Order: sequence, then C-alpha cells, then structure tokens
Amino acid sequence: MMAGVSALVRLLPVMLLVSVLTLAATGIGSSFMPPDRVVAALAGQGSRMDEVIVWTLRLPRVALAILAGAALALAGALLQRVVRNPMASPSVLGITDGAAVGVVLFLWLFSDQANNLTVSIHWQPLAAIAGAAAFGALVIALASLDRGSSKPLKIILYGIALAALAKAAVTLLIILGPVYRASQALTWLTGSVGAAHWQDVLAVGLGLAAVIPVLLLQRLTIRQLVLDPQSAAVSGLSLDRAQVCLLAVAVFLTAMATAHVGAIGFVGLVAPHVARIFHGQFRSGYLFSVALTGSFLVLAADTLARIIAPPLELPAGALTALVGAPLFLYLLVKGRQSHA
Amino acid sequence: MPDTLASLDRVSAAYDGAPALNEVCLDLPDGRIIAFCGPNGSGKSTALKVMRGLHRPDGGTVEIAGRMLGDWTQKDLARQVAMLSQSPDAPSDLSVGDLVLMGRFAHRSRFGGPSAADRAACDRALDITEMADLKGRALAQLSGGQLQRAWVAMTLAQDAPRIFLDEPTNHLDIAHAFELLDLVMHLSRSENRSFVIVLHDLNMAMRYADHVVLFEKGRIAANGPTTEVLTEEIISSVFGIDCRIMPLDGLERPVIVSWGKASGVGVSGQASGKMRKICT
Repeated sequence: MMAGVSALVRLLPVMLLVSVLTLAATGIGSSFMPPDRVVAALAGQGSRMDEVIVWTLRLPRVALAILAGAALALAGALLQRVVRNPMASPSVLGITDGAAVGVVLFLWLFSDQANNLTVSIHWQPLAAIAGAAAFGALVIALASLDRGSSKPLKIILYGIALAALAKAAVTLLIILGPVYRASQALTWLTGSVGAAHWQDVLAVGLGLAAVIPVLLLQRLTIRQLVLDPQSAAVSGLSLDRAQVCLLAVAVFLTAMATAHVGAIGFVGLVAPHVARIFHGQFRSGYLFSVALTGSFLVLAADTLARIIAPPLELPAGALTALVGAPLFLYLLVKGRQSHA
Repeated sequence: MPDTLASLDRVSAAYDGAPALNEVCLDLPDGRIIAFCGPNGSGKSTALKVMRGLHRPDGGTVEIAGRMLGDWTQKDLARQVAMLSQSPDAPSDLSVGDLVLMGRFAHRSRFGGPSAADRAACDRALDITEMADLKGRALAQLSGGQLQRAWVAMTLAQDAPRIFLDEPTNHLDIAHAFELLDLVMHLSRSENRSFVIVLHDLNMAMRYADHVVLFEKGRIAANGPTTEVLTEEIISSVFGIDCRIMPLDGLERPVIVSWGKASGVGVSGQASGKMRKICT
C-alpha cells in the first residue's frame, strides 16, 4: 500500500522527535538526569531516588503535556474542518475562554474572606469543563439555528463574539474578586502543566481514548467536510449533523485539556497547520500527525518554560503563544494570497 | 424505475425573503435530458436546488424518483441523484484522484479503504472525462476547464442514475462544452441515465435536450419537448429579443439566431398571458 507507506514515512520522524523530547524533558529539572538513568528509571531498573523523581515528579507532567497537546491540536483540526476555515481553533471560537470563565467563577464563588478555597481545588477542572461546555453549546446552538449558506463564516463570528464576551466576564470577575485568587486565576489563564498529577493524566487520557473511536468512524465525514456545503450535501453528507457532532467532539477535547492544563493557546491553531505542511491534510494519518505535533509543541513549550529562568517556572501557555502568535500572523498574511 | 423523475406541486421558494419561485407546478419525465432555460434570476437554478433538497421551499411539495423529498436520507438520495452545483469548491491542495473518490462518499464503507467497486467507479469517471492522466495533480495545478472536468468526474463517480448539472459548461471553451454535452448524451442513451441541466446557451439546449423547461420570473413559461418549447415566438417573448430558428444542412435540430432586443412593447404582455395559462 503506497499511501500507507508514505504516511508512515512522514509520521516516524515526528514520533521519534516526541520520544526524544520525552526522554529529555524527563531528565531536565532541578537535578539533571542523563538519558541512560531516565531510561533505567522508566524501566524500573534505576535507583530508588531516580524512580521517585521520574515517576512522581516528572513523568505526570510530561505525559499531561503530551496528552493535552494532542487533545488541543485535534480539537483545532476538527474545528478547522467544521467551519472550513484554517483560522479556526478552540481559542478563536470562545471555547477556551468559556473554560476560563468557569474557573474564575469557581475561584470567585468558593473563596472565603481569608482567600482560602471553601471547597477542594479538585473541583476546578469540573468548573473549566462546565464553562467550556456552556460556551461551546452556545456556539453549537447558534450554528444549528443558522440555515444560511454562509454558516461556516457565521460560526467563526459567533465564536469571536462569545470569546470577547467571555474575556470581558473574566476581566470583570478578576477585578471584582479577591486579590490572591486573582493571581492564581491569572497563572491558570496563561496555561501551565506544572501542577500535574497522575489523576490529571488519567482524566485527559480517558477523554482522548473515548474520542479516538469516534474519529476513526467519522474519518470519511471529517474529510468530506472540506467540500463546499452544497457539494458535500449532494455527495450524501448530512451536513448539519456532521457539523454539530464534530463541534461537540472538539468542545469535549478542549474542555478536557483546558480543565487540566489551563488555557494553553495557539496549539489548536498551529498544530493542524504544521501537520498540513509536513504530512498533508489528505494523506491518511493526518489526524495522528496533528495529535503528535500538538504533543510536541506543548511538551517543548513546557520544557523550555522550565529551562529558561530556573528556579522560576514560566507557564507553558506563554511560550506556545510566543511561537504561535507570529505564526498566526504569518498565516493571515499568506492566506490573503492563497484564498483570494 | 418510475416514469417521473421529479414532481413539483405549487412550490414557492425565496432567498432571504426575495422570491425566486412562485407556486411552480412541474412534472419531469425520467430517462431524458432535460434543460432548464430562462433569463438570469428566472428561478431555474433555484428549482434545481429545491429538487435536490439543497434549498428549503417556503411552500409546496417536491417528489423525487417516486418519493417525497423529505422521506429520503441524505445517502439514499445521493445514490439516486448526483448533482454538480454552479460554483463547487474544494481545497487547492486536494488531488484530482482524492476529489473523485469523495464522490463515492454515499457508497463507501465506514471501515477500511475504498472497495473494488469504489476504485472501478473512480477510474471509469476519470477515463470518460479524460482526467486519468491528471489523477495525481492538485486542483491548484489545473486549468479552468480541467477543474470543471475533475468536478464532473467526481459527480459521475457517484454512480447515480439521475444527475443534475447547474450550468456545467460555465468554465469550458466551446469545444469542451460540446464534449461535455456529448458525454451527457452518451450516458443518457447508453445507460438510460436522466439529466437535468441548467443551460444558458439556447442552442446547446436545442441540440442536446429532449425536453426543455423555460423559466420566467419564478414561474414556468413553457414546458415540453425541445422543439415545441424553443420556438421563435416563445423565445422572443421570454427573453425580449428577436430571433429566427433556422434549419442547417446535416443537423438534426435547427439553430437559433438572435440579433438583440425586440422592438415591440406588447410582447411581454403576451408572455405573462401564456405563463398563467401553463401553470394552473
């Protein structure tokens, strides 16, 4: 099978890159560990100390970065197909900001006079999921009410409007809320995998595992969505149903990831573009390539965030945005030519 | 196969409140080449979209291949009626082969790659549109005519017995336009496929259509066998131009020659009288 071979040839380097980065990221920290010790610890052959560092301190963080990156990237790729616009991503469509509203609202509602949380911090992911789902549902509802021909563009506009609304709500809540919680909210808003535990890894991992069968079954639909709405419909695609279903999957992925790592931006926008250039969006394995690219981006950003100014740890979200924002601008400028 | 391809009963449709079809009643025979003709904005494309379920009518009922339009599932309908819309669009990095394979969406299994039947249908569609050599090309690398033929190939790969074409000769030079309509004629005669084609060029309709529906201002001005509909009188009144219909040696059908605007004022009044008579 020619197609399978050429897809594999393109996937292997990215897989290798993610593997090497995983070893490096696990080794890097306040006490550096060379790759051979990392491998030994991973295999259960290392010293007791190394194994504790690797398995309880470093690996959850690395695994969470990989899984969250994959989820955000996949969400971005799905959204770009649903709205037929390469500029779509979870943050452009207001889903990430929806999660932020959930978290800030949670920190605001459940803080007491002394700035302590009155409930467990473990409820915070749930608040993020609720916020993302609420805003995602709003986008879906507005989109499914719209029967016009310019629907894909409208979905983007609805998203932008809702994102603006969410941002305004977050700003207001932070200003009105207690000061200590505000700074905590800000850290979360920029996005960070620093506080990773195995239970976070498990949650995001299970979310991804639930989505994979859906993506496999819907792969022809996901591809068919690149056609203009009329051509897609006459070829036999139930357009409204496909759009709403995949929009829901994208919201779910974003909510799962954002809830546990914060509002890491631009991965959902950039990863599909990178995979499109290096893999090709019509070669089989495209979504896998997107997921790997997303993993790589978030893991690289988080690793850089730990190296740049130790012992200070920068939020990974700040670094993905640092790389992502100029790329977004580049795509906007270049897109003007190719979509004219 | 039912004798009626489509049956419209008092169908009205509009775009954002602007009326496009006004209580149209229409029965179309199956197994023929039917041309939808008429001035710009007369409702011919809208009628085609309504018949394929792409535009929701404001009133009336549409029956297609013996079943109410709303009773079809998207995939079942796609297996029965394919359509090439007026300005289809796909990403420029899509290859011709992948585009044509997308025409198999209604047939493909959810699991695994394309079946032998899928591949055969695609190869055949590429062959008869003479696009087989360009299979690996990206859409961005095609000329306007090649691109249009790639879309025609995708539509044919769908393997539907009924095919709607909305101004398919739009981006084609005159030689390719004839080629495409010759292909339509061939598929109609050899495989008994039905075609409904929106055509601007009345001479093309005259030459290739078995049956012509002439639209005017959202209503049907004339409907019937080609030579009965495309007459000097009807064309003059619907388009407001003077014309002559003249036989040419060696051609089965005559040609329409026009030299522009009609001079009389009373002509359009005559047309609306005719319209009322036909659609009640």
